[in-house]
Amino acid sequence: MSILSEIFSWWGGNTWGTRITLMCQGRFVGEDDDGNKYYEQRSGVGSMGMPRRWVTYKHQADPTRVPPEWHGWLHHTVNTPPTEEDYRPKPWQQEHRANMTGTAAAYRPSGSILTSDERPHATGDYQAWKPD
Amino acid sequence: MLADKDRIFTNIYGLHDVSLKGAMARGQWDGTKQILEFGHDEIIERVKASGLRGRGGAGFPTGLKWSFMPKEDPRPSYLVVNADESEPGSCKDREILRHDPHTLVEGCLIASFAMRAHACYVYFRGEYIREREAFQRAVDEAYEAGLIGKNNKNGWDFDLYVAHGAGAYICGEETALLESLEGKKGQPRMKPPFPAGSGLYGAPTTVNNVESIAVTPTILRRGAEWFAGLGIPNNTGTKLFQISGHVERPCVVEEEMGIPMRELLERHAGGVRGGWDNLLAVIPGGSSVPCLGTDMCQDITMDFDSLQKAKSGLGTAAVIVMDKSTDIIKAIGRLSYFYKHESCGQCTPCREGTGWMWRVMQRLERGEAEKHEIDMLFDVTKQVEGHTICALGDAAAWPIQGLIRNFRHVIEERIDAAQAARIAAE
Amino acid sequence: MSRKLLIDDVEIEVEDGLTLLQACELAGREVPRFCYHERLSIAGNCRMCLVQVDGMPKPVASCAMGVNDLRPTRDGTPNRVDTRTPLVKKAREGVMEFLLINHPLDCPICDQGGECDLQDQAMAYGGGGSRYDENKRAVDEKHLGPLIKTHMTRCIQCTRCVRFMTEIAGVEELGAAGRGEDMEITTYLEEGMLSELSANVVDLCPVGALTHRPWAHNARPWELRKTESIDAMDAVGSAIRVDTRGREVMRILPRTNEDVNEEWISDKTRHVADGLRTQRLDQPYVRINGKLQPASWDQALDAVADRLTATPANNIGAITGDLAGCEEVFALKDLMNRLDVVNLDCRADGEAINADHGRAGYLFNSSIAGLDEADAILLIGANPRTEAAVMNARILLSWRNSDLRIGVVGPAEDLGYDYDHIGASAADLARLADGSHPFAEVLKSAKRPMVIVGSAATARDDGASVYATAARIADAAMAGKDATWNAFNILHTAAGRVGAMDLGFLPSTNADQSASELDTVFLLGCDAPSISNLQAKFVVYLGTHGDIGAHKADVILPGATYTEKSVTYVNMEGRAQLTAKAAFAPGDAREDWKVIRALSDRVDKTLPYDDLEALRAAMYVAAPHLAQIGHLTPADAKATASLAKSDNGQLSDAPFEPAIDDFYLSNPIARASAVMAELSALRQTATKRTEAAE
Repeated sequence: MSILSEIFSWWGGNTWGTRITLMCQGRFVGEDDDGNKYYEQRSGVGSMGMPRRWVTYKHQADPTRVPPEWHGWLHHTVNTPPTEEDYRPKPWQQEHRANMTGTAAAYRPSGSILTSDERPHATGDYQAWKPD
Repeated sequence: MLADKDRIFTNIYGLHDVSLKGAMARGQWDGTKQILEFGHDEIIERVKASGLRGRGGAGFPTGLKWSFMPKEDPRPSYLVVNADESEPGSCKDREILRHDPHTLVEGCLIASFAMRAHACYVYFRGEYIREREAFQRAVDEAYEAGLIGKNNKNGWDFDLYVAHGAGAYICGEETALLESLEGKKGQPRMKPPFPAGSGLYGAPTTVNNVESIAVTPTILRRGAEWFAGLGIPNNTGTKLFQISGHVERPCVVEEEMGIPMRELLERHAGGVRGGWDNLLAVIPGGSSVPCLGTDMCQDITMDFDSLQKAKSGLGTAAVIVMDKSTDIIKAIGRLSYFYKHESCGQCTPCREGTGWMWRVMQRLERGEAEKHEIDMLFDVTKQVEGHTICALGDAAAWPIQGLIRNFRHVIEERIDAAQAARIAAE
Repeated sequence: MSRKLLIDDVEIEVEDGLTLLQACELAGREVPRFCYHERLSIAGNCRMCLVQVDGMPKPVASCAMGVNDLRPTRDGTPNRVDTRTPLVKKAREGVMEFLLINHPLDCPICDQGGECDLQDQAMAYGGGGSRYDENKRAVDEKHLGPLIKTHMTRCIQCTRCVRFMTEIAGVEELGAAGRGEDMEITTYLEEGMLSELSANVVDLCPVGALTHRPWAHNARPWELRKTESIDAMDAVGSAIRVDTRGREVMRILPRTNEDVNEEWISDKTRHVADGLRTQRLDQPYVRINGKLQPASWDQALDAVADRLTATPANNIGAITGDLAGCEEVFALKDLMNRLDVVNLDCRADGEAINADHGRAGYLFNSSIAGLDEADAILLIGANPRTEAAVMNARILLSWRNSDLRIGVVGPAEDLGYDYDHIGASAADLARLADGSHPFAEVLKSAKRPMVIVGSAATARDDGASVYATAARIADAAMAGKDATWNAFNILHTAAGRVGAMDLGFLPSTNADQSASELDTVFLLGCDAPSISNLQAKFVVYLGTHGDIGAHKADVILPGATYTEKSVTYVNMEGRAQLTAKAAFAPGDAREDWKVIRALSDRVDKTLPYDDLEALRAAMYVAAPHLAQIGHLTPADAKATASLAKSDNGQLSDAPFEPAIDDFYLSNPIARASAVMAELSALRQTATKRTEAAE
């Protein structure tokens, strides 16, 4: 990542401001499979009365890239990050995918004209009489 | 204090003979024919002169009401007597019907004659079964004696029918009563047209309270001046007061209008339980008028005008006394439940509002509310009041308004206490 | 008399007898309302229409307050009425809040969404939010039959539906049970509603408490294309609106036409919509070796053309059906005339009604709106409840509001109102004709008498005598009265009949062969039961549904239904009305006149019109009154007198049969509809149950 884009944009990862904040206050907690990094405030509390928690994205900044196990920790739903517990996805859980809306990989219902699959045949809007 | 000679209901406690013979011995049916000989309009004039105001609660001058009946109309006229006495606290009609029914039978004849009606219906409350039987006996006696009926002694063909309701409070509202009498669901009609223009079966009708009709024979016998001489100006005559609640001796008593409340309670009901200082509140006119705090009860007189000035009302003069042991919020909340239960459901503000008010009252009773909800409740009562077809909406709103006006501090204390208890528990 | 009012500083003069709400509307002020409806009695229970009247302490429900009830002001100035003061605004907000506290917030899944009075008025007159923190009330759904879906939690107890059923439909099937908060609208023991007009309550319902069950959750109002059209289910010619999505008719709703249907339509008119998409003929068929085979238009038309050219004109006949519009009837008549065919008829059921005495001989002359003024009605072999349900509501209303006397000769059916049952058979007519029956006196003394003859009453052996005797009774009743009032009325059951008679689609005087002896018959949408007895060697059927005619046919030419073509229907009063094309006909089906035009080409008798305008121009030359769309031209009343003299045969004592056996299954479209079949079955069970109970 070029220094320029790091200075002038925020969407492609963390910015200098974030980097300084994390350096001063953050404690590295862990990293998920995607390579997003998670930090927690070393001391003191944020405006919510709890230590602040951060994520810095490996790729584009997109909150839906945070997998569920980290999502819980990041939002203070749970206190233990997945790295500190023996976290294993449930057998029925699908692999986490970020929201693909707006990209080519977006979800299309079967009837959508944008879908590449074959669309279901039209049912017809009348029922014809057939002689016996 | 009303002298015994000025009493209209001389057998209100049922100590004497109830039958026609006994009634006649007490002076009823005396000179009825002569009264009818005054003529239709003269009777109405005399009732007007007596200053008699309707005893059903609204206090509309009875003579004036009768004069609204059309004089020449191809349709028959009807008199309907409202014996659907369902107002919590009221029990005066019951005593008249049980023990002095002939005052009403005679009154029906005279009033019907005055408004040129040949038929009169007396509509009984569903729960008044014994009362209906007692009254029916009196009617049968009068028929047998030829006092009423076709070609009767008094010279005015007149039939009296007894109708029995099914026990709905709303049927005490005059137009709902007419609907019920016609065999329909008891729901108030829109006014106008007023019953005098189009009432029972679309014919001119006057609906009067039992007491208003029952006092007319005596008024006409003894003269309008006599009746006007009792009580205070604009609130003349005598009235049956019904005193219930926290008094030593609850009773029904005939007294002059305008008697001070304190005198009424202390002379006839033996005073407030535990002394006057133990008084918390009085509902002076049956459940649908706002209650009065102690300070107001001290000097107030029992008549239409002064109670109205005190933002309450005489209503049916059913005085409900509550001493300091009363949970006033719970008491008024119970009244809210009554109105929620008895709302006919026809028009929106009453149908939806009564349930809402009752539910908020339930929470206020337990203190599970916020203080701003008191103002909200007051606002809701104001939204119901005056926006409904009949007066039941107003009646449901007024007790709560009286509560908030006079006992706001009690509600607030309750809320504070409940909040404190909640915090302590946590 | 009129009086002046000052409404929001606008001074207007209003007629006596108006309500304040109507006066406010005249002054251009909108007054919100839920319970008030122009055609129902005033209930005054929603309290939404409160306005402020000067001199009255409380806001007044404007729907129930007549302008006459206002007390004149002391100085004689007009009464002041305000609809926009803070007091009124607050009162309305209060009422709206009350209405909403127990109303569920399920607009996104509610079928009324988008056409909901409560939604609209909550936006316009409601407050910003609710202060109600308690639990909401929930109410059980009610079973009201196959047409009406209920969501009673949404009900705001306006009682419009109750008043409609009692006052207009004439059956006390709906009522409010319970009181206060617990008041619920329901039928007795949740019996389904059986009135022919029951579905109108859904239109009346200002919220989504009553919705249409057959098209529940099918479409949103804003997705639909609305086409204003005319109904063809009966001869009343009700104004309807056809809502379509794509080429599918999603629903049919009434429009207002004061002179005809006011704003009601029958359940058949409304819910026949699903019949428009089942059992459709969507391609031509030709019978080969006794079996119908799919064919192309060329094959089918050639087969018909070959037959028509090969057969002597005397052996060809043409019959039009109940749903045939004027355009195709005219085109067919034109073609048949060019082929010298004289055996034409539009009276498939064999009615004796004819056009020999002028239009008045087969019209409903007193007009439907005339029912409001009638003071004596004689029904001869007619059951308006099944034959013209919307019209029956009008008779009922008139009967309720006036001293209307009604006499019936025919089956003693439940019509919703009381009547004198004079007799069941035609022989009883004689007693009316010679004045020996007391009802003859009623007709004579009436200012506006009406004699209504069911078209089916003339479809019997003594039909011509019934027809003439009825005219005689009407003629006697009219004697010496208002000359503009014609008491003689024919109650038709078929939408296409009067138009076809106007165009003279009748046997010409030199027609000598009865239908049974014909060799080749052209059926224009004719599915009358008598068709199944047709002995013809070759039958051409041009129609829309696989029904009686199609089964009989040797060549099937698929046509368009009344929602798929623009045609003229003349209703029984003689009022020409235009339908509009709301959707395209399915598959290869074409508009009927185009098929006839194409056929004319093949028999070398090309009809001289290439488009609908040209056809209509030609048609209007033949029958000029068809051009007067929507207007009623009274027919010359002399017809009755000449008709009265026409036949004096014997009247048999055979009882009159009902014209319509089953209200719900009276034409091919209705017979294709699953909803109608369900209703018919329900009606039969209910009838059986009543009979068993008796």
